Amino acid sequence: MSFYEHTLVAKQDLSTSEIEKVENKYSDLINNSEGKIVKIEKWGLLNFARKLNNYRKGFFIHYKFEGNNETLNQIKKNTLIDKSVLRHLTVKYKKLNTEKEYFKENKFNEKK
Amino acid sequence: MKRNKKKFTSKNKNPLNKLSLFQKSESYFGRSCPLSVKDAPPIDYKDIKLLKRYLSDTNKMLPSRITSVSQNKQRKLALEIRKAKVLGLL
Repeated sequence: MSFYEHTLVAKQDLSTSEIEKVENKYSDLINNSEGKIVKIEKWGLLNFARKLNNYRKGFFIHYKFEGNNETLNQIKKNTLIDKSVLRHLTVKYKKLNTEKEYFKENKFNEKK
Repeated sequence: MKRNKKKFTSKNKNPLNKLSLFQKSESYFGRSCPLSVKDAPPIDYKDIKLLKRYLSDTNKMLPSRITSVSQNKQRKLALEIRKAKVLGLL
């Protein structure tokens, strides 16, 4: 078991209920496949630096979890099929820093 | 034999004392790496403010001879910038 960080970029034109569905889908997926979630961060709507698949903005969801090879395979399988996810990235860490949040002072987060 | 470390720093402290325009100022050489000082911020792909400091206007990395980042940290910077570019943050 080792620690990972996983970030999703969901499409901009999804409604708030659909984004919650996406968030719950992957948190359940991690918990059901020998993993354990430490923290979930919602970064909210952020502007891209350039256009990605003709989208200018995206909804960012960030997971910090503990897991093994199987959890990673499950996540990768599901994200590649998923049409509501634009990009994704997983990074391995020896220790997780759960205190610092880089995207806390975002205006879009406060409105919702 | 001991090397004289103060060779560059003692003379010409005022930048106006330079002999010609093409002489580089002393601050150009003397700076140490800003990322390997004590209490330096950790290099992370989520810290966009820090990463943007080491990019040019056209989103390319600045060379270490301008930013005076050490070899080791420059390599780590490049990795984190690549990660941020995947997510579309930079």
